[in-house]
Amino acid sequence: MIRGVALFYGLYLLLPIALLMVGSVGDSWTNTLLPTGLTGRWYLELWQDPSFRKAFVNSLVVALAACVINTVLAMPLAYALYHGARRGGSLTARIVSAMPIAVPTITLGFGYIIVFNSDWLPWLGSMPLLIAAHAIYTLPYLTNTLLTDLRHLGLERLEQAAATLGASNWQQFTSVVLPSLRQSLISGLVMVAALSVGEFGLSNLLTSFQNRTYPVVLLQAFYGATGFACAATVILLLLAGASAFLSSSLVKPRS
Amino acid sequence: MSLVLDHVSYSYPGTTQGLHDISLDVRTGELVAVIGPSGSGKSTLLKLVSGLETGHSGRIALDGEDLSKKPVHQRHIGMVFQSYALFPHLNVLDNVAYGLKLRKVPTGERHRRAQELLDVVGLGEYARRAVAQLSGGQQQRVALARALAIDPRALLLDEPLSALDASVRGHLRDQIRAIQRRFNATTLLVTHDQEEALTMADRVAVMQDGRLLQIAAPRDLYEHPASRAVAKFVGLSTLLPGTVSASDRVNVGFAELAAPTGARTPGTAVHVLIRPEHIEADPPPGSANRLTGRTGAQRYLGALTRYDFEVAGASVPFLAESAWPAREAIGVSPAHVRLLDD
Repeated sequence: MIRGVALFYGLYLLLPIALLMVGSVGDSWTNTLLPTGLTGRWYLELWQDPSFRKAFVNSLVVALAACVINTVLAMPLAYALYHGARRGGSLTARIVSAMPIAVPTITLGFGYIIVFNSDWLPWLGSMPLLIAAHAIYTLPYLTNTLLTDLRHLGLERLEQAAATLGASNWQQFTSVVLPSLRQSLISGLVMVAALSVGEFGLSNLLTSFQNRTYPVVLLQAFYGATGFACAATVILLLLAGASAFLSSSLVKPRS
Repeated sequence: MSLVLDHVSYSYPGTTQGLHDISLDVRTGELVAVIGPSGSGKSTLLKLVSGLETGHSGRIALDGEDLSKKPVHQRHIGMVFQSYALFPHLNVLDNVAYGLKLRKVPTGERHRRAQELLDVVGLGEYARRAVAQLSGGQQQRVALARALAIDPRALLLDEPLSALDASVRGHLRDQIRAIQRRFNATTLLVTHDQEEALTMADRVAVMQDGRLLQIAAPRDLYEHPASRAVAKFVGLSTLLPGTVSASDRVNVGFAELAAPTGARTPGTAVHVLIRPEHIEADPPPGSANRLTGRTGAQRYLGALTRYDFEVAGASVPFLAESAWPAREAIGVSPAHVRLLDD
């Protein structure tokens, strides 16, 4: 029974991906179950299309920038929440944890439009605003990952041990807390990158024509040839897949 | 390096729990064990000395220097935790060398000292291992080496053996004691295990409800407990309420026992303490403090059997130990019947 459900779910999940891959190398695909002919021209066209290449670079820049910003913000935030939660500030911790689930990206996006489409703050469509939005959107995911690890490690004990051995608060943070969190920081950042690369709702609302990210441009592709759209999607899939693979190979299991 | 606690009191914020007027001293190279049931304040005591907890009244001094104003990391006091608290991202050698690195000891010298200490705790070959590859007992030895590496002014052991299997505990107990002697470390050990305290310590402090009940050498504590609470907590015993009826006679309700009453006048309420090893099985009729009854529950311990002996009228059975359980009577020599004044 469970095996049957798993199989069905697997098919449901993998079939579209398989069809996308088939479609991306199919010559023509109209009103048939499977495309006919074999070609690589969709990928070539994609490579030659400047708007896609620009979007691809944009997505990488935004994702990378979000990672950098999140590293700087999430580490102290998670640390403060961990220590705050033990002093009774667990409500803050819960709000931060629940935020990405509770607030839809479209809400966040509309908020940005209202605030940054004014004469005072005319930054709508600028790259820094897009990066900021991605950073805010992904921050709770990284913070949660770090927070879970902080709790799991029982870091308070390690800090106390370090203190008795002569470490000041700052030395405890740099020599015990940071190295202990290295693994979860890496896995969290890969998640941030994957989320940012695939993010559509926010980007679609906030980008100008110049700064469109890959998923936003991808939507345009579906108004054209099916094969081209499939190839463009496969590229996004590869990008996200690479992140996932990277995360699993970078993060060694803790023995 | 002597550690002195002088009228130390502490209360947890918003509660009446804490420590009440604790005074004790640990002399240079001495190992003092603090025992007591959970919630007795023994761990709080250790935290105050280490500086992990602050805000006490009274004085905690190390070699005459008041520690109150010093933060944890400047106290130079080594501590071993129940949960080992080794750094998972460092290997065994670097764990031991951690405190030396903070003190800016050059790499070569640092590693040499750390290796030396690992040899002392018998883990010289494990220097390059990851911490997680070690057993609990080995990890605790690394923790001990790490605490000793900073050449601490005092050593605090917080339930160091509680997380370990009984089979490892006995051996490690001896090893820790030997190392502590070798380094002449002024040591405060906190444990809930009375056997651990009695076997390891030069002196044992018994705590209950945040108060220090008695501090004495293990033998004194066992043979001359200052109160019923200490007698109950240290070793096994039979405790009976009674009244002094005449010189060297005590009435326990169901019988009158011969016991040294000292200066107590007739009518004084006392508690009678009898240790199980002092109860003799089936003494000849007519001998002192002979009580008839029947044997209840028995626990076979190998060389000895520990058993309950029920005497008609007694509210609790007598706890006795001998090669064979008594058949019909038990007896206690009057010298082994101790009277407690509360």
